[in-house]
Amino acid sequence: MQFLKGPLAALLCFVLCAPPPALAAQDPPDRPAAGSGRPQYESTQLHGDRRILQALDRFTFGPRPGDVEAVRAMGLDKWFDSQLHPDSIDESPLFTHLAQFPAMQSSVQDVLARYPSNALIRRIINGRAAVPQDPIESAIYENQIYRIEARQRNKANRLQAQNQASPSNAPGNSMNAATADQNASMAQPGPAPSGPMNAAPGDAMQMAADDAPAAGSQPALDEPTFRDLLALSPADRVQRLASIREPQFDEMMKSLRPPQRARLMDGLTPAQKEIVGALENPERMVGEELLSERLMCDIYSNAQLLEVMTDFWLNHFNIYLRKNEQMPYYLVSYERDTIRPHALGKFEDLLEAVAHSPAMLIYLDNTESVGPDSIAAERFKRTAWRRPNAKRQDPPGINENYGRELMELHTVGVNGGYTQADVIQAARVLTGWGVDQPELGGGFIFNPNRHEPGTKKVMGVKIKQNGEQEGEELLHLLATRPATAQFLSRELAIRFVSDNPPQPLVDRMAKTYMATGGDISAVLKTLFHSPEFWASGDYHAKVKTPLEYVVSAVRASGADVQNYLPLVNALRIMGMMPYGCIPPNGYSWEASAWVNSGDLVDRMNFALALASNHLPGIRIDWATETNSNPDAPAPSPETEEARLIPLLLPGGAAESTRTAALDEFQKQSAQDDMRPGADIEPVADARRFNRRPPPNAIEREDQLLAGLLIGSPDFQRR
Amino acid sequence: MPLTRRFFLHKGALAIAGTAAIPSFLVRSVLAESAARPGQRLVVIFQRGAADGLNVVVPYREKNYYAMRPTIAIPQSQVLDLDGFFGLHPSLASFKPLYDQGHLAIVHACGSPSMSRSHFDAQDYMESGTPDVKSTQTGWLNRALQAEDICCREHYTAFRAVALGPEVPLTLAGKVPALALDNVNGFTVAGRGPTPSPVADAFQAMYADSGDRIFHTAGDETFDAVKMLRAADPAQYQPANGAAYPNSEFGNSMKQIAQLLKANLGVEAAFTDVTGWDTHHAQGGVDGQLANRLRDFSDSIGAFWRDLGDQAGNVTLVTMSEFGRTAHENGTGGTDHGHANAMFVLGGGVKGGKVYGRWPGLDNDQLNQGRDLALTTDYRQVLGEVVTRTLGAENLNIVFPGATLDPSRFLRLV
Repeated sequence: MQFLKGPLAALLCFVLCAPPPALAAQDPPDRPAAGSGRPQYESTQLHGDRRILQALDRFTFGPRPGDVEAVRAMGLDKWFDSQLHPDSIDESPLFTHLAQFPAMQSSVQDVLARYPSNALIRRIINGRAAVPQDPIESAIYENQIYRIEARQRNKANRLQAQNQASPSNAPGNSMNAATADQNASMAQPGPAPSGPMNAAPGDAMQMAADDAPAAGSQPALDEPTFRDLLALSPADRVQRLASIREPQFDEMMKSLRPPQRARLMDGLTPAQKEIVGALENPERMVGEELLSERLMCDIYSNAQLLEVMTDFWLNHFNIYLRKNEQMPYYLVSYERDTIRPHALGKFEDLLEAVAHSPAMLIYLDNTESVGPDSIAAERFKRTAWRRPNAKRQDPPGINENYGRELMELHTVGVNGGYTQADVIQAARVLTGWGVDQPELGGGFIFNPNRHEPGTKKVMGVKIKQNGEQEGEELLHLLATRPATAQFLSRELAIRFVSDNPPQPLVDRMAKTYMATGGDISAVLKTLFHSPEFWASGDYHAKVKTPLEYVVSAVRASGADVQNYLPLVNALRIMGMMPYGCIPPNGYSWEASAWVNSGDLVDRMNFALALASNHLPGIRIDWATETNSNPDAPAPSPETEEARLIPLLLPGGAAESTRTAALDEFQKQSAQDDMRPGADIEPVADARRFNRRPPPNAIEREDQLLAGLLIGSPDFQRR
Repeated sequence: MPLTRRFFLHKGALAIAGTAAIPSFLVRSVLAESAARPGQRLVVIFQRGAADGLNVVVPYREKNYYAMRPTIAIPQSQVLDLDGFFGLHPSLASFKPLYDQGHLAIVHACGSPSMSRSHFDAQDYMESGTPDVKSTQTGWLNRALQAEDICCREHYTAFRAVALGPEVPLTLAGKVPALALDNVNGFTVAGRGPTPSPVADAFQAMYADSGDRIFHTAGDETFDAVKMLRAADPAQYQPANGAAYPNSEFGNSMKQIAQLLKANLGVEAAFTDVTGWDTHHAQGGVDGQLANRLRDFSDSIGAFWRDLGDQAGNVTLVTMSEFGRTAHENGTGGTDHGHANAMFVLGGGVKGGKVYGRWPGLDNDQLNQGRDLALTTDYRQVLGEVVTRTLGAENLNIVFPGATLDPSRFLRLV
């Protein structure tokens, strides 16, 4: 935090402590609450560093230490222009971080083949796929096969026990039980699974487990074996771990204490760490990396506007992680290949990419939609006699889900002038748009056999029968509607300007959209050059969403994040887990969704846990400066406050915040009784990380002060 | 001094939390007569995603029901018969005894008159209580509490209106402060000790003195609620009467609502929602996706009822969903967005054991727009009666502006 010394600190102090009278008159220290009167744009415009802070607050996930100075040196307009051209930005620091997750750079098929989903494992159990030859990959598969089969057996046994316990069960109930899990292919209690895959070894292992009732209660790995493992080179260690069969492998991993685990992983390359994670649970490993990678980009990317816009579009084109078991794999590509490349480009290209993405076609059920008069439906009707006992006798048909949300949420908006008839017509246009072999991670495919023949008419526009091309016409039609320009401009203005954006601003942005063929960068440029964006009444007035709050706290504190899962967990608690929104409308950008008691409690607890290094694998050194500079004055409450406030709240802290924090800081004795972070529960994997020595008194006091500042009302806004 | 129900609630809160726990500014004075019966609490459950009412409360005598739903219909032999015409989905086994005992009423062909088929608009309309009016920023339940204040303003606590979940839903948005929390046990700042930590006090001071109006208010509400909950010691909670809640998000929410109600914190209105009803694809029949959802739904509510024991007599629970689903099953073994639905009303004062509402029929020419169950009862008619009889909200023009509800046309189910 050396960079805070010298000119920047002096300048911040100048801005914070002694604003020139004119500025002070225009920008009262008490921030306006959201929803207060409409500001007068002409007379109250931001000046000086407040413009820089406004830009950093809105176009990034929050300023890092030194950002204000860097933007000032570069010039605000030039900085914004560079943010619109992310190719020109040095991302080498981010790439270093991204190298932690090699799987996130691979194709969906490759990730799925190497780190199989549970759906793929069940295909193998059912004899519809084979285990790969490679010994390590094979171990990953075998471990997961064992776990799923064990789960199925347990379930079957439980049901059997239940049925025996209550023989008077209504027939309906026992039927429910027998097919309780649609997705799981039930292992019947009787015959062993009939796949080509080692049914016998599975049974043998089960017997072994049954014969060892005390397994798990005693350490499965005795000390010499563990020491032997550690003595091996990383590559040999991974080989050795892969050679341990189930259930011994799981028992051993679960018996490890956090320091042991850390030693086991010590020296492993990222790819080797992925293998160990996959040996434990491949689907979970991929899901965790997916969420971690998103936070990693938000925190560490220098192309912040690109990340902000990627996040914006991921929310606009929301997808839920747990729609099915393939989704975590498809989302790897959805973020990387579908959204990010177009986040600052033409909206129509983005819309096209989303419409061709397996993730969206699966999420909104378009893969299920079949034209009622299509070749596939006709064939179904013709061959119905061959399936006299099949459950489904009616031919497959239209599913309206994607057709509707494409208009309501993705383009023209709910008031965009379409009717229920248009929804059905759009769904007909899109029949046949699907995914090739989704269980293997295949890509987009247009299936002409499922496409509904005939001319369609959407919102008064005729779309002649033309196969896949009809969908292209529909997307073009929707992307170029004035209603779409309005709908998107308004959503952008809400994200970047205010919960109640001024209509003239939205109109101006929409006009740019129409004039530039939906150029997102051009629309953002219009926003940047509009007086409404620089109105002092809206300065620091947007309430942060949980994602913005968590990421901005990590950025401001300069935290070193080795483990992103505590951040994911905090977002889950605050109700905004990435890819965690089930309905397709995504999370709200408005304050009303996020200001309430429960959320506030979660934010304060997160602030304390983060600042005092209670989140495993996340480390902040508040006292860097004090420790490394022998000439620095002896720390006192005043010096520490003067040092930490500009760091965490570069726009300054309200007097009430300063006073409360300082009072508490002064009261803090060496023997403090605070228990920060007790309520952010460390995730199970936190055990991978070593505990550090307890902080000394100054560190503890810095942590407390920082926690109070991050949890303050001032930090809740941007 | 007449003993009104809020006085009762308030005293309950004081008895547990102690006078010091409730800041005086929260204790609004003026006692008055209440139209409602004392100590009534209202629990509102929103089934987000549009539940398929025709497979929830099955009109199993309708031939066309079976014709329109070849793969997902519930066979007559499998429904839990209610009255010789309707039957419950077999997964709703936990509801059957409540219906038979006369605690559970059903209103069929009921819902919002808005023709919107957008989940989000329809949910907003239903929650605001003003179908097809977009500009309404407040929820019907919040306005019901306001209406109650007008007729009989009394004391209330920070827990008067509470939502289990990460945010205050539109249903509870408005002038009356509402609390949102997703975990009663985690609802504390900087540790769970018996006394607040100094850090929590520092935060409290910081928010109390803040000039940021929104966060000042949120902070005050938060710390009041934290204090009261601390006094009620939620960590010690054990469900009563052998109630077994499903280990699900909804089961957990219902358990926590029971916990809050039983802790006498002054809860008058509680809200939670339950998702997973948007069954466009493979919704299943007797088994499957919807069946699993319904089992969780009814088992959670059944456990809630059992857990409340004697106190259930003062509780009224009502369920709703933004619209129903198409009468025909779609091409993918599911159903698309429809119109009318079925509501459940459960409570000690409910005249249950009956399916209310006029049945519009399911013949093709009786369907709404040729595709959905037609609507014969406006959901506001049901809620209007419920809030009058429980919260004592007399001025229904405030609760449901524009609906012009006529109490003489209430279904008389409470």
